[in-house]
Amino acid sequence: MANPTTTPGYRVVVTGLGAVSSAGIGADAFTATVRAGTPTTSRITSFDTTGFLTHQGGEVHGFEAADWVRRIDVEQWGRSSQFAAVAGRLAVQDAGLDDFDFGQARAGSCMGTTSGESAVIEALVEDWVEGSLKDLQPDSISKFPAGRIANAVNSELGFTGEAQTIATACSASNYALGYAYDLVNSGEADYMICGGADSLNRWAHAGFYRLGALAEDVCRPFDENRAGIITAEGGVALLLERYDDAVARGARIYAEVLGYSVNCDAKHLVHPDSGSIAECIRDAHRHAGVSPDQIDYVCAHGTGTPTNDSTETAAIREVFGEAPPPISSLKSIIGHTMGAASGFGALICCKALYEGFLPPTATLQTPDPKLGDGLDFVPGTARPAAPKIVQNHGFAFGGNNAITVLGRVS
Amino acid sequence: MSAATLARQVSTTVTTPLAITACGVVSPAGFGAQTLAAALAATSAPSHYETEQAYPTAEHITTEDLPPREMRAAPPLPLEELLGRKGLRQLDRTTALGLTACALALGELAEPLEEQLRFRTGAIVGTNGSVRSSSEYSRETLIQTRPYLVNPSLFPNTVMNCAAGQIAIRNSFRGVNATLAGGALAGIQAFRYARNALARGYAEQLVVGAVEEFSPQAAWGWHNSSALQADSPVGEGSAMFLLEGPDTTRPVLAHVLASEVAYAGGARVSLIDTLTSVIRSALSRSGIDASTVTDVALGATGQIGLETIEIQAVKAALGDAVVQLLQPKLVTGETFSAGAALQLAALLGTWDLSGDVGDERVGLVTAISPDGNVGCVVVRSAAYFEGKSHVSAG
Repeated sequence: MANPTTTPGYRVVVTGLGAVSSAGIGADAFTATVRAGTPTTSRITSFDTTGFLTHQGGEVHGFEAADWVRRIDVEQWGRSSQFAAVAGRLAVQDAGLDDFDFGQARAGSCMGTTSGESAVIEALVEDWVEGSLKDLQPDSISKFPAGRIANAVNSELGFTGEAQTIATACSASNYALGYAYDLVNSGEADYMICGGADSLNRWAHAGFYRLGALAEDVCRPFDENRAGIITAEGGVALLLERYDDAVARGARIYAEVLGYSVNCDAKHLVHPDSGSIAECIRDAHRHAGVSPDQIDYVCAHGTGTPTNDSTETAAIREVFGEAPPPISSLKSIIGHTMGAASGFGALICCKALYEGFLPPTATLQTPDPKLGDGLDFVPGTARPAAPKIVQNHGFAFGGNNAITVLGRVS
Repeated sequence: MSAATLARQVSTTVTTPLAITACGVVSPAGFGAQTLAAALAATSAPSHYETEQAYPTAEHITTEDLPPREMRAAPPLPLEELLGRKGLRQLDRTTALGLTACALALGELAEPLEEQLRFRTGAIVGTNGSVRSSSEYSRETLIQTRPYLVNPSLFPNTVMNCAAGQIAIRNSFRGVNATLAGGALAGIQAFRYARNALARGYAEQLVVGAVEEFSPQAAWGWHNSSALQADSPVGEGSAMFLLEGPDTTRPVLAHVLASEVAYAGGARVSLIDTLTSVIRSALSRSGIDASTVTDVALGATGQIGLETIEIQAVKAALGDAVVQLLQPKLVTGETFSAGAALQLAALLGTWDLSGDVGDERVGLVTAISPDGNVGCVVVRSAAYFEGKSHVSAG
């Protein structure tokens, strides 16, 4: 079979955006916070951090799914599924399709996640610790499957098509966007919601700490003093449809999905590999039919760990040479939302293309000289700009790299 | 063109057959598709689960108290033999089962996979991850003197893509690597995802399958959920298949035709009707008439409510066709994410055992979830009936 190249088929566009995050609920609230460069990580309250040495998280405080959904009974769904359902509902509203009967169309969802219904699993673990495994509660058990994240979107929106939950950890939303793009591009689906969801949990907080990958107070991607990630949560959704349909109904078109690539390091479960990432970037460009000089902005994975940021910038240099396009990391604002992270990246790319700005690396103080010269991390607040084509990075444990390419539709 | 018009147009598109060229299976019956099929043939269906055969219980896996219900585990895994000695200590059972099934599948090939193609070879794995790994890790944060005193080297096991990542590492598979958390439908969704990746040229060949481990956490979860019939065991297993385009030069075990999924939970439509229409649509997209279906491997065996719905939908879709109904869960017990992949394995193993040279067989693998996910895969027997058997006897 052929190497991936520019794929003929339907043009696929993003016409609706939904966000549930520490930086706000709704794509507009989220974008305003990002543009202002205001970090929104805070002290974790969703679990007891007593005894931990780090207490910061990107928590969605006071989240009440029932305030946002129309159809689902929120009591039947775990926190990650609720994030997904609300993000999906917001995306459909944003697209002006809130009253559209999706049951008459081929509509589905594809959602990414790292830890699935981790908050539900932790409730079950508390049952276990306080008593024994005999005490696992049935209402938590029914909420446990990670596959319910996409199911929640379909249930909330009345979708009758595919409900695919992709669990490729922290690049999963980009996988989801890629797969959803394929289904619409090839005519398998008319509408797809794609994105991701994850919940804050004790075990990831502990695990990242023990890997030496957790920052104590602030996530500072690309900074000389960066110390790691801030664990975070949220849900994000993009509505994809055919360009022709969007134009016919007079929809606002944020961006066109131009292509994507996924590959695997196949070397180590937790250490990223710059050569493999560079290859993924090149494949994504080839698939999207663009060249490196056409890329106006890179929405980085940018976790703020010493290893990720040096590996990622090395890969970018390998493809773009000595003067890469501006690069920034949303994790400076919302922390690491895990399986939702590259979905938030895709969302802000859409907004950047549509509204005309570059998202900032909000917390950057001193760019790490070891990353080399000629790198523009858009420090502080958003910068007015007119990007035409951008790329969005997502990397993960397991060596799962995924890169999407989005373009402005004029 | 309206969406509805277009939907009608694409639904008639006949899919390209894909080739399964190897199959690796681990289940409570032992190793190999034939072993699973032989155990299934020995059950006294329709009286559930009764058999002369003694399956391994979970004593080699856990010392925890287990619920008052039958447990069926896979036999001890020959990990050193299949994988070498290095790095075995950190593997959780989900990853070990997945690696075993993958190694068994690749071990069947007459020639090893081409080195120069491994960068365009991938792994598509259906799994919900290891619930034991994540819950034990979480438990440590509650019972240690300090909540962060967890073992960093076990952290990757808590992430659902661990098995797929390990399959990639141990086989140098640098192509598309995906983990799909579809529960009962995970195996079917893995084939859908794989079909897309192959059709669009993202990969040359893919190891596709699913895995579910036995754990005391899952056993109690199933037991307390009231979702299973009282005599339904909790089991485990994994099946992995090498999937390629139709132009492969390797001997073909079976062709995978259409795989279709739908969701009944959102529009609150009937599960039976939705599964019936998904089966019809999959047969139509396979270019297959319902009357030619010979075997159906069912997924909801042992699940209260769903078992009857699945059988009714199959009957509604196939009409008067005389089919053999296979219920692999009579052997494996409930295997959640691995279900559909083990169903496909049982189907291929059954065909292989029957050895009806020249008879074309058409099989259907169905799955259904309590939320309203339904799906099926259509497979057709291939050249292996013309002579030698390729499905591993284990």
